[in-house]
Amino acid sequence: MIITKKRDFKALLENIADYKSFFLVGCSECASLCGTGGEPELAALKIALEAEGKTVTGTMLPKTGCQTLGTKIELKKDKDACAAADAIIVMSCGAGTQSAVEIFPDKPVFPSNDTLFLGNMTRFQMFDERCSLCGECILDKTGGICPVTACPKGLLNGPCGGTNEGKCEVSPDIECAWVRIYNRMKKTNRLEDFKKTLSPKNWSASRKPATLNTRGEKEEVKK
Amino acid sequence: MSLRDALNSGKFVVTAEVGPAKGTDIKKILHESELLKGKVDALNVTDNQSAVMRISSVSFCKLLLEMGHEPILQMTCRDRNRIGLQSDLLGASILGIKNVLCMTGDHPNAGDHKEAKPVYDIESVQLLQIVAGLNAGKDMMGNELKGATDFYQGAVVTPESNPIEPQLMKFEKKIAAGANFFQTQAIYDIDKFKDFMSYARQFPVKILAGLVLLKSAGMANFMNKFVPGITVPQNLIDELKAAGKEKALDAGIDIMARHIRQLKDEKICDGVHIMAIGAEDKVPEIMERAGLL
Ligand code: SF4
Ligand code: SF4
Repeated sequence: MIITKKRDFKALLENIADYKSFFLVGCSECASLCGTGGEPELAALKIALEAEGKTVTGTMLPKTGCQTLGTKIELKKDKDACAAADAIIVMSCGAGTQSAVEIFPDKPVFPSNDTLFLGNMTRFQMFDERCSLCGECILDKTGGICPVTACPKGLLNGPCGGTNEGKCEVSPDIECAWVRIYNRMKKTNRLEDFKKTLSPKNWSASRKPATLNTRGEKEEVKK
Repeated sequence: MSLRDALNSGKFVVTAEVGPAKGTDIKKILHESELLKGKVDALNVTDNQSAVMRISSVSFCKLLLEMGHEPILQMTCRDRNRIGLQSDLLGASILGIKNVLCMTGDHPNAGDHKEAKPVYDIESVQLLQIVAGLNAGKDMMGNELKGATDFYQGAVVTPESNPIEPQLMKFEKKIAAGANFFQTQAIYDIDKFKDFMSYARQFPVKILAGLVLLKSAGMANFMNKFVPGITVPQNLIDELKAAGKEKALDAGIDIMARHIRQLKDEKICDGVHIMAIGAEDKVPEIMERAGLL
């Protein structure tokens, strides 16, 4: 899921200083799980904005904010409330915010969140970054632990000289990804794979912006 | 004599380290380099060491060449992508630089530009492969070069890293990738180092033991606590303490000289790499006490 963090309310207020009335859009997927764009957060932002003398014309929680077409259809029932607003505030990730930009071509759209990373939820509202969407997965070669993401240097061939008692040189709070990979490969009898030298990563596979079309027979990522 | 010839001749080789200045005033570092002239076999030029921005290592290597030194160009993967690295390597080659030490490089987090975007497009093992390719007249994509490089390739290893196995596996990858010589992270326990050497000796590479000058008991304790892969044994810390504040540096010089003597007399490794860290002017004295001058 996409991990988001609530923006400082003051910063949001500065962004929307020129506008009076707002329609608020959340997201029932990731942003709800992150506690940044679900039902309670929509209600809380409404109250906070009204306390600042702003008007909230309506709020709405789409099923999946980044699903542009679906969100557009869901928003039909709120047509009037949307029309009455000077601007839209989106409480989701940057993708959801840009769905709204597409749905509301004539209105300013503001994000209420910062979008951080693709994360695993390890416990309720605790998230770890495990994959950085590099476009060509090497988990098969690294014992199922991703060094592109878990090693701050993204090294592919073993630990740097800075690893210390299994901890990372960059921060003693994190485990050295390569020590973890080593331990796991040892446990699963895959040290022969550890010894293989990996080639430099093909970064063209993660070049931005990507598009993907999986309709019909054709399946291709365009760069 | 080139570093390659010196190591191949079986001579006990001594290298030391100079760090380019932060700024254009290079009087001090030129003076320190001058002091080492004719004494050490080669001089490492660090590459934005500890991720602190300084003069480029290629430029400073060129100055050393003009002064008649044998420079070792340190090249880290932190600040340049694969295009930049290859381009700088070709540039170093036409300037006459022959030795390159391939390293990953400390994370920007450690340095004075913490907000920098780290590159690490490739890493030390892959950089060694790339240098081997440039030596063979090809860039890393297999494109023919108009004129090959002729680098003597070095790398680093941390013999006291814990756990050691993944470190040693990487050491072997570096050898397979083309490393000719290694300079180690600082070692203080010669017996432990002997264990590493008895393993390393099965490979056709030259090993220079890394030695960092201890300037006080406090520094030794600090290194034990904060520098990964370095363990200063208690007896050395006691020795520094016993020397008292005034004489601590002197004791540190003694310790290093003693270690050099032992490494050389017992033919434990192929040479030493002296890291004086701010006391470069003491290197001749260390060498003298070690019986090398
Ligand atoms: S290798 Fe790439 S795709 Fe696979 S987990 Fe890591 S970042 Fe994600
Ligand atoms: S200590 Fe381990 S995780 Fe940290 S940068 Fe080095 S190799 Fe990567």
